[in-house]
Amino acid sequence: MRHNLETHPVAGRVDDLNARYKHHSAHDVLKRALTDDQVGRIAMVSSFGAESVVLLHMVSVINPDIPVLFIDTQMLFQETLDYQLEVSKHLGLTNVQVIRASDAALAADDPDGTLNQRDTDACCHLRKTVPLENALGGYDAWITGRKRFQGATRAALDFFENEGDIRIKVNPLAHWDPQDIQDYIVNNRLPRHPLVAQGYPSIGCAPCTSKVAPGEDPRAGRWRDTQKEECGIHFINGKVVRGPLPKEDPVEEALPMNTIVTDEGFASDDWSGEFVALEGLSEDNAVALDLPSDADPTVLQGKLDGIDMIRVDFPSFADGRGFTLARCLRLMGFHGRLRARGHVIADQYAMARRSGFDEVEITPEMAERQPWDQWKARSNWQSHDYQSRLRGSA
Amino acid sequence: MYTYSDFDRAFINARNAQFRAQVERRIDGSLTEDEFRPLRLMNGLYLQLHAYMLRVAIPYGTLSSDQMRGLAFIAEKFDKGYGHFTTRQNIQYNWPKLKDVPDILDELAKVQLHAIQTSGNTIRNVTADHFAGASADELEDPRPYAELIRQWSTDHPEFQFLGRKFKIAVSGSPTDRAVTKAHDIGLRMVKNDAGDVGFEVIVGGGLGRTPMEGKVIREFLPKGDLLPYLESVVAVYNLLGRRDNKYKARIKITVHENGLDKYRELVEAEFPHRRAAFNGIDQELLDQIRPQFKSPYFTTAPKAEFEKAYAKDPVFRSFVDTNTATHRNDDYAIVTISIKKHGATPGDATAEQMRVMADLAEEFGHNELRISHEQNVVLPHVHKAHLPAIFARLQQADLATANVGLASDIIACPGMDYCALATARSIPVAQELAERFDALKLEHEVGELKIKISGCINACGHHHVGHIGILGLDRAGVENYQVTLGGDGSENFAIGERAGPGFSYAEIVPAIERVIKAYLEEREDDAETFIETYRRVGMAPFKAALYPDADKGRKHAA
Repeated sequence: MRHNLETHPVAGRVDDLNARYKHHSAHDVLKRALTDDQVGRIAMVSSFGAESVVLLHMVSVINPDIPVLFIDTQMLFQETLDYQLEVSKHLGLTNVQVIRASDAALAADDPDGTLNQRDTDACCHLRKTVPLENALGGYDAWITGRKRFQGATRAALDFFENEGDIRIKVNPLAHWDPQDIQDYIVNNRLPRHPLVAQGYPSIGCAPCTSKVAPGEDPRAGRWRDTQKEECGIHFINGKVVRGPLPKEDPVEEALPMNTIVTDEGFASDDWSGEFVALEGLSEDNAVALDLPSDADPTVLQGKLDGIDMIRVDFPSFADGRGFTLARCLRLMGFHGRLRARGHVIADQYAMARRSGFDEVEITPEMAERQPWDQWKARSNWQSHDYQSRLRGSA
Repeated sequence: MYTYSDFDRAFINARNAQFRAQVERRIDGSLTEDEFRPLRLMNGLYLQLHAYMLRVAIPYGTLSSDQMRGLAFIAEKFDKGYGHFTTRQNIQYNWPKLKDVPDILDELAKVQLHAIQTSGNTIRNVTADHFAGASADELEDPRPYAELIRQWSTDHPEFQFLGRKFKIAVSGSPTDRAVTKAHDIGLRMVKNDAGDVGFEVIVGGGLGRTPMEGKVIREFLPKGDLLPYLESVVAVYNLLGRRDNKYKARIKITVHENGLDKYRELVEAEFPHRRAAFNGIDQELLDQIRPQFKSPYFTTAPKAEFEKAYAKDPVFRSFVDTNTATHRNDDYAIVTISIKKHGATPGDATAEQMRVMADLAEEFGHNELRISHEQNVVLPHVHKAHLPAIFARLQQADLATANVGLASDIIACPGMDYCALATARSIPVAQELAERFDALKLEHEVGELKIKISGCINACGHHHVGHIGILGLDRAGVENYQVTLGGDGSENFAIGERAGPGFSYAEIVPAIERVIKAYLEEREDDAETFIETYRRVGMAPFKAALYPDADKGRKHAA
């Protein structure tokens, strides 16, 4: 039945399909796409967002058993999760597959769920692009709800697109305008996403979606106040539209490159020993310890004597637990070397020193962006300190 | 009144210079917007719906005349000629330009004010009873302790990047005018069996989307242990509080999820370490702070003019009955100036009005003013002989509205007119309610009634503790107002109960009017206040008044 797709390059098939379906309606494009040999194995990808119900409804009428891939970034609004269940039931979709990032990937790249605050591109990559890439591995084509009116990056959208010479992307609603969508929802009495009525015409993850004022572009609420327009699951001219995953400075590789900041200035690391993780701590190896920001310092009670250095992690500059960890360690009697490592900014240098840290370890990128003079400006941490005043040491 | 030490002065100047440099580094790209945001927030600078907003702290609500004039000057020079007094004893300027902000901070420093830690995930401006030092019923003036807490929390190295904001309130009186049970930490001065005065420590209170009544974690804390104990509570919170979900990050959730006993255990385990790190110098500093809050030298003057005016002039009598409170000196009164003129924006004062109030405080009020959490201005020490003159001057400045504590003395958040988070308008509802009560001429008959309005579930208008609370939501693009009844922010703390389905914008004012009429019918006599009647009869008669058609179907259900 099926063409041998291996011998027919994606580019050629896409041109052919666009020519054949040029004057067809959305419904017809979708119907043919679901059965056309030239398309191959196909899945629908849906965010169950503000307008998703239109295409889901069309699919359910043609074939409710088509795989529908729903990417749960684990950052979605509760309303979206509820709506996904409601719509799937209402339309009788039988093959909705929930796609998520693996626990291992989350633990490695976003252990505390704050990546979105630091790097939205990396967060989309981790939670959306990679899981979808993996899920689409077994398909020749996928259906999306993208439309031309949705922005400059989508203005020339065709029914069929060549996605990096790997698979075909089908956009049955490419030519629809906003009114078509609304009419279709009203005429077919489809359930609406509850957040639409609350001012969200385009819905993504909760941290990166905000309301849109009347008159604003409907997608203005996505990644507001940033240049970002696309999450990265959609390609432009065969190129991924997203930034690279930033180096989360894995210790072994980045260590020689990292900069140590002290009151005297920038220096390279003079500590050549190994750091052990908290769970691997024993009496034999207890020389230098890596402490994560969510550690309970009291587990180190009575074990501090053999430790020369403790390095406390700062996964994000907004995560201030490390300051209290340092103070607790000092109050527990730790007199060894205490280092803050990770995303610490120059403005926090005085806080780090006053909390009991001796030094800060930063990445080369941070050392370049915030050079020594900016840290030096806060190296007078002993002045103007209410804490030492209240304790009589100033 | 506290005046800055050399240390305070040098600190503020250094801090302002730092912020000036941070603004420059943001502009040259050394700081990303993400990194700049918490730094500007720590200095009180928000990005609002239309523009930047600068929130200036009025520590424990106390101001001198010169400081009030400083606020007026900033309103005129850098803003649109007015400022907005908030429910947390701050003043907000809604229209400053980013480039002017370092200059504004320098102007504030000249009158010993600042905007430090008025926002961000840190310990916020510490608030106190606005009648502190003047009311007849207090054990001790709480403000020296509040000032000590201000110094301790300012730039505290451990607590600048907490999981969420952290608010502390202090009261020295059994009558709770500081809403201590709705704060992250509430401190109430109490006397123990030995007759010593100390603090009852309350943790985990809060309003917002999950309202919770604070719980007593320590029944009696000796005054000398205040700072190490506070530090233990906040350190435990910093490590234990959730950081995975902004809406579950406040200490009220930490205490709720872990249980008060577990939380107390952790605090008590931390406390000895923290106490050992203090060596008594903090108490010496407190001893230097205390005399600065000493009582003014009360004068004597003939009261005949006052008594004559009170007997003869019903408008003046109404002002005195409504807007003054009992002072601990019988010849004196505490005057509350309403910033809630019927139909005006609650809490907004013009630069000219600020100057009039500053002048009155200087001439008749021992140079002291207070900002109340109910968004009014207080002259805490006024000899009764001066009340007629003060009243006349307030009338000229359009500040003589006699509605303090009455139905039109409404707390309202800025709502959708200013705030990016809001889902409904609140100020126009407050204005229409106030105008309606004025037209009905009922509010003096109704007596004490606290109406509070929030424009979204974050509850900045404290609707949960309003005798009548109004919460504006958005239902499919239409404003919808839910009514709660029976809330109370006083020592009889209670969170209001939701009455039923919400009302549209057009329906909400008549609905509140029906509630008030139901109260007038239900009350036993004139002396029984709304909240007392509600506690006696419960929700039912009010519900019947709110939903008269309930038995005919769901007409009001939204």
